[in-house]
Amino acid sequence: MKIAVCVNHVPDTAAKINISSDGKSIDNTGVTYVVNPYDEFAIEEALKTKEKFGGDTIAISLGNESNKETLRKALAMGIDNAVLLKTEEYYDSLSVAKALAAEIKAQNSGLVFFGKQSVDFDNSIVGQLTAELLNYNCVSVVVEFELKENKIIADREIEGGKEVVETLLPAVITTQKGLNDPRYASLKGIMAAKKKVIEEKTLAKPNNFTEVIGMKKPAPKQPGKIIGTDSSAVPELVRLLREEAKVI
Amino acid sequence: MIIKTNQDEIQNYLSDASNFSGNCRSVYLPFSELEIIEILKSCHQTKTKVTISGNGTGLNGGRVPQGGIIISLELMNKIISFDSTAKTITVQPGVILKDLQDYVESKKLFYPPDPTESNCFIGATVATNASGTRTFKYGPSRDYVEELRIVIPDGRIINISRNQFTAKNFNGKLIAEDGSEINFTIPNYKMPKTKNASGYFCAENMDMIDLFIGSEGTLGVISEIKLKLIDLPSSIFSCIVFFNEEINALNFIVEARDHSKNDSAENSSKKCDAQGLEFFDFNSLKLLAEKYSQIPAEAKAAVWFEQELSNNYDFIIDTWMSLINRYNGQTDKSWFAVNKNDQDKFKEFRHKIATTVNEIVTKRGLKKVGTDVAVPDKFFVEFYYLCKNKVENHNLDYAAYGHFGNSHIHLNILPKNLYEYELSQKIYSEICFEAVERNGTISAEHGIGKLKRNYLLTMYGESSIKQMAALKLVFDQNKILGIGNIFEEKYLNY
Ligand SMILES: Cc1cc2nc3c(=O)[nH]c(=O)nc-3n(C[C@H](O)[C@H](O)[C@H](O)COP(=O)(O)OP(=O)(O)OC[C@H]3O[C@@H](n4cnc5c(N)ncnc54)[C@H](O)[C@@H]3O)c2cc1C
Ligand SMILES: Cc1cc2nc3c(=O)[nH]c(=O)nc-3n(C[C@H](O)[C@H](O)[C@H](O)COP(=O)(O)OP(=O)(O)OC[C@H]3O[C@@H](n4cnc5c(N)ncnc54)[C@H](O)[C@@H]3O)c2cc1C
Repeated sequence: MKIAVCVNHVPDTAAKINISSDGKSIDNTGVTYVVNPYDEFAIEEALKTKEKFGGDTIAISLGNESNKETLRKALAMGIDNAVLLKTEEYYDSLSVAKALAAEIKAQNSGLVFFGKQSVDFDNSIVGQLTAELLNYNCVSVVVEFELKENKIIADREIEGGKEVVETLLPAVITTQKGLNDPRYASLKGIMAAKKKVIEEKTLAKPNNFTEVIGMKKPAPKQPGKIIGTDSSAVPELVRLLREEAKVI
Repeated sequence: MIIKTNQDEIQNYLSDASNFSGNCRSVYLPFSELEIIEILKSCHQTKTKVTISGNGTGLNGGRVPQGGIIISLELMNKIISFDSTAKTITVQPGVILKDLQDYVESKKLFYPPDPTESNCFIGATVATNASGTRTFKYGPSRDYVEELRIVIPDGRIINISRNQFTAKNFNGKLIAEDGSEINFTIPNYKMPKTKNASGYFCAENMDMIDLFIGSEGTLGVISEIKLKLIDLPSSIFSCIVFFNEEINALNFIVEARDHSKNDSAENSSKKCDAQGLEFFDFNSLKLLAEKYSQIPAEAKAAVWFEQELSNNYDFIIDTWMSLINRYNGQTDKSWFAVNKNDQDKFKEFRHKIATTVNEIVTKRGLKKVGTDVAVPDKFFVEFYYLCKNKVENHNLDYAAYGHFGNSHIHLNILPKNLYEYELSQKIYSEICFEAVERNGTISAEHGIGKLKRNYLLTMYGESSIKQMAALKLVFDQNKILGIGNIFEEKYLNY
């Protein structure tokens, strides 16, 4: 079985993001990029599945040269091969999905893991679009995953509980926090990763249907109010929470 | 300044991370050195006791008051100046260590001292000569202090830079900012050659600035600090290795330690040059496993090390790899940080064991009994087993971890009841005694404060304690400042 994982390279959530002068993209100065945190769950689940059933794992990322850093991390964690779908262009979610679907087809992979969402633009859509384009089944926001021959049983997180879903391969799974604890790269993995070559495929121009025309920062937070520093301030605090903030 | 007198507001200042607690009348929060002078002068006149407070993360009750008032430095938290060419930074004492480190790192410079708890104030790290993981390579806070301003209890200011005043043999002399001279005799006890935070720093012909570093709030209020910085390493190799046998982990540390010390001395294209070598025993890993399911089930011990990398990346990794193989470390299950994010997670892993231990004993309504002993390297492995056997012979819960590269052991006993607590204290005191027997120290980094005075007595003997008290009286004739820290008050009355 060939197991694929789609991994995105995103700004560190701790990074302070500024908008660049064109008003519609991120200013990259001083911003460090990391593996999309949800994609780490996807990598871990791919590795676990391989450890159980055997097979071959491949990580796919769409983006520019810098995405290689994320692919290298996937390799160091234990993924067997990596492909960079290389582009400097802006790809909207559907364009990303089309390119990923084509690559997954070429790789002949019947089980594909995605993160449930990229923490950069939060569309939460690439996995589902890709499944549809490939005509694969899809279970999203998975917190428990079990494979029995070609049958999948997965728990999905829903408001206030879990939904248990059954489906068949080929399938796309999008992963949610709680599914597993992603491993750290091992020293052996690092050594092995250094010897592996990341395959590069240059993409044609995308045919986007959406365009980002602007980015806005949230309004600055109002300064806090100190109403006292000892217990005598409690009644006033309670009053404000009730009457002004209306939270209790 | 702000003055807090309401007991509700004062509660937070009455204990520290050791769970030891005290009482006081009021808390003074000065905004400036002038206000510190004003407070101290008036307390000096009225003979009111003053305890200095940092952020309360200390582990020895040092900032815990026994009556009188508190001076807390939390409002003096400004970076005063930064010089990128000279690589120095001057700060007020209430700047938080983590903030200072983030600030200088954004300027591509580096402040190495890193006590595991980075929420402490810089002034307090100087007052306790704090050290941490990286002390193995870079030394303790002391090595980075270039200049201090100190307000002594009668309100005079001592402004002292490194190399400005040196003692003649054991005769110390300082000149205060008002021109007055302060003369005193430096105690002549021999400090251990290990990492050490026990009692005043005293040595023949010493630099007088060293007297104040590690003086635990007993000689004056540190009101301004100039620190030396170094270049920020371009990248760091950080790894947690798991071992299936504890002795392999210990021997791995010993060899990595010796390589790091010798290889780096020999040539500049060092092979093994660890910044730190940290150990976790099986019990520590068991406690951490609740939060980290990735810990291999068969692991009996772990070692965390970090090393700076330049362009000799492959060479360094190969060197460590063969060292790990030699001691049967698990290369396929060890953890390797590939970026800053993962490095921070390893740091958090180390911090977590310290806080987990504290939480467990606090929940049981008891105090933890944790050693801070260090011994000369040659005794290290034997000494570790001696400590461990003592605890195991009494069937007590414990977790051992610490800065093993510095032969420095945090063996934490986790008593379940009062009986076990008292037993633990007895064992603790035996371990201190054994460390002293080996020319080691009873406190390598947490300091003496109010909780370890008896052990300091064991370490240096009563006549040395009296010398320390006599020295303190030169700076604090009215016996008001940090009373009860380092030695008992009675020694001030001889
Ligand atoms: C500052 C910045 C600059 C960027 N510049 C470029 C650029 O120049 N060119 C470019 O192509 N992209 C670039 N991207 C990334 C690109 O915009 C996103 O990959 C794309 O918008 C998908 O995001 P989404 O919110 O739709 O994904 P979601 O639908 O939220 O993602 C869900 C899952 O889909 C998978 N996935 C998403 N994107 C990818 C991907 N690229 N490769 C593999 N798997 C993926 C992951 O498993 C992810 O967890 C940039 C992103 C940022 C933050
Ligand atoms: C989980 C945990 C891990 C720790 N790990 C380490 C470690 O690895 N290494 C280490 O060295 N320590 C460690 N510590 C102890 C502690 O963090 C350090 O001792 C730290 O330096 C204390 O800083 P603070 O601001 O909390 O000081 P406080 O506890 O408030 O005060 C400490 C002492 O300094 C004196 N003092 C404070 N400010 C001044 C001043 N301006 N002038 C004169 N005297 C002053 C006080 O009177 C007191 O005696 C750890 C603590 C915890 C809780």
